[in-house]
Amino acid sequence: MKILAVCSIGLWIFCCPLFARDVDLFGYFESQWMGAQIHKETIQLQSNKLRLDLKGDWDRVQFGGNINWITYHGKTRWQITDYLPANVVEQIPEILRPFYVFPFDDNSKLDNAYVKISFNKWDLTMGKQQISLGSGYAWNPTDLFNTKDLFDPTYEQPGHNAVRADVALSGRWNLTALIAPEENWDQSAKLVTTKIGLGRFDIAVTAIEKMWLFHDYSVLSESGFAGEAEKRDMVGGSIVGELLGLGVWIEGGYNDMRKSTDFTELVAGLNYTFASQTFIMFEYFYNSACPTKENDYTLNDWMRYLSAEQKTLTRHQIYMLIQHPISDLTQLGLSIIAAGDGSVALLPSLTATPFENVEVTAYANFYFGSETAAFNKNLGNGGLIRLRVYF
Amino acid sequence: MIRRINMKKWIAAIIFFTGCQLLTAQELTGPQIIKKVNDLLNPETMWCKSDMIIQTSSGQERTFVYESWSKNHGEKNLIRYLEPVRVKDESTLMLNYADDIWMYFPRTNRVRKLATHAKRQKMEGSDFSYEDMGAGDSFVKDYTSKRLKDQKIDDQSCFQIEMTRNPGRDVSYSRLVMFVHRDNFVPIQVDYYDENQPDRKIKTLKQSDIQIIDQIPTAMKIEMINDLDNSRTRMEMLEVKYNLPLKDEMFTERGMKQ
Repeated sequence: MKILAVCSIGLWIFCCPLFARDVDLFGYFESQWMGAQIHKETIQLQSNKLRLDLKGDWDRVQFGGNINWITYHGKTRWQITDYLPANVVEQIPEILRPFYVFPFDDNSKLDNAYVKISFNKWDLTMGKQQISLGSGYAWNPTDLFNTKDLFDPTYEQPGHNAVRADVALSGRWNLTALIAPEENWDQSAKLVTTKIGLGRFDIAVTAIEKMWLFHDYSVLSESGFAGEAEKRDMVGGSIVGELLGLGVWIEGGYNDMRKSTDFTELVAGLNYTFASQTFIMFEYFYNSACPTKENDYTLNDWMRYLSAEQKTLTRHQIYMLIQHPISDLTQLGLSIIAAGDGSVALLPSLTATPFENVEVTAYANFYFGSETAAFNKNLGNGGLIRLRVYF
Repeated sequence: MIRRINMKKWIAAIIFFTGCQLLTAQELTGPQIIKKVNDLLNPETMWCKSDMIIQTSSGQERTFVYESWSKNHGEKNLIRYLEPVRVKDESTLMLNYADDIWMYFPRTNRVRKLATHAKRQKMEGSDFSYEDMGAGDSFVKDYTSKRLKDQKIDDQSCFQIEMTRNPGRDVSYSRLVMFVHRDNFVPIQVDYYDENQPDRKIKTLKQSDIQIIDQIPTAMKIEMINDLDNSRTRMEMLEVKYNLPLKDEMFTERGMKQ
């Protein structure tokens, strides 16, 4: 064992100078402080993240990967029942309530690790990689691999293990086929998407077959909440372009479920930049699987929403964003997220680069809704400050 | 004797050609000069590596290094950032003279299509907008040019051209005043006027350190001075090459990710 370790270190030392010529090592350190007022108590959570990226490029072969180390401090066990409306908490037997905890555990993981080989007309990518689908900003009905954080929709998503082929059919026409292997072929996710540019529009058609893992949060077993995987076939697409001078997009997907009820998700949005550099965006999201009235939200609806198993709690949602650069290095923003139940979340934000390779993001969140609504006060008014240093 | 005749002939020829050139320069109209400027600024293909140094109103500086490729006389443009690491490998593709813009973000592996209005946005917070960078033949198509009285800028004789926005054209400036070097047709200064107030100057572009690269006069230093924000952005060409064989595949979504 010792010999193996010594050999490994030796090989590493020997190879490092060879790699050094063509391999980039970069990444960032991120420290984030979060505070919220929950039931008259001020809670805090701080996280520190180190992301180390490695990228190499040799002729037609590219490889890359990154490792993330994250530590959490402060309130690292969040009692979910504190955030749920009273009528939902009542559905949970008293004895089971301590199990409704969301833990923030220190972790380190290999987030991405892939090899990409480029041929004349197509690229083959194997390994853990980013899969980003759809044209929507806050929601992507055609993306069954990721769920965006509404407070920070542009934050990087985790890597997914997959084998992917990107084929360039012509200048603005390409096709992507992807398989995300699981235990067997039947359970593996399969994706085919093609995108074509027609005039001022990009049009994409996407088909995905994927197991959708969700939990029944009313049933607790020894291994945790009862999980169930159900096959989900999604056919959808997106159109993004320009209409009457406005940037416009529409993205939707019809989901054929093997056991539960089929449902449709749809996003439509528009944006515009004024001469003053002020940018505005409006996006509407529809999810037929979600209830329309707040009294109909079940424990499972809430828990699946909070654990990102489903994109929204309500059937109708609106996302509005206004951004304005107050200087070359500082931008102010305001996001307004409105749910179909009449509740609203306001998120004023500020992003700045006070030094080269240093980024500061700060936002506050305020909820305005009745106690049973999607954005109710129980969720806790608060804010976040994030400092990120790239190297 | 023979030598003296030859000398006289040479002097006569030089006077004749200089006179012709002066006459030609005198007779050039505004649109003709702008056509020459447009041809000069938009060669068939071009690659360059540049520094972009943003100086904010508070005196802070941010430096970006990027590579850019252009093809079809500026119709296709691709910009890829090399530094700082914060934006490394981010790229912007502009087709149809920046009417169609896509941006690629490597951290999320996402390509976003931007609408035409987005070309007004500042490029990485600089004083150059995407429109300034990829407008291509905008000088010819979007504006009507009129030659004004010649002027000297930094002791260099220049044609002065006033360019007024054509009705219905979607450009961010109501008027431009361009000072074009009489010898090499490099616009050494361009004054940009507000979209709605044609008398309000908002930005000034200055080009200097003209070098001949592949027989093309090239400004190695470019500076955009923002009168409104009291900020400025300098670009320094580190390397420039013209007439390279660039494949069309480079100016695609796939090309952005390479």
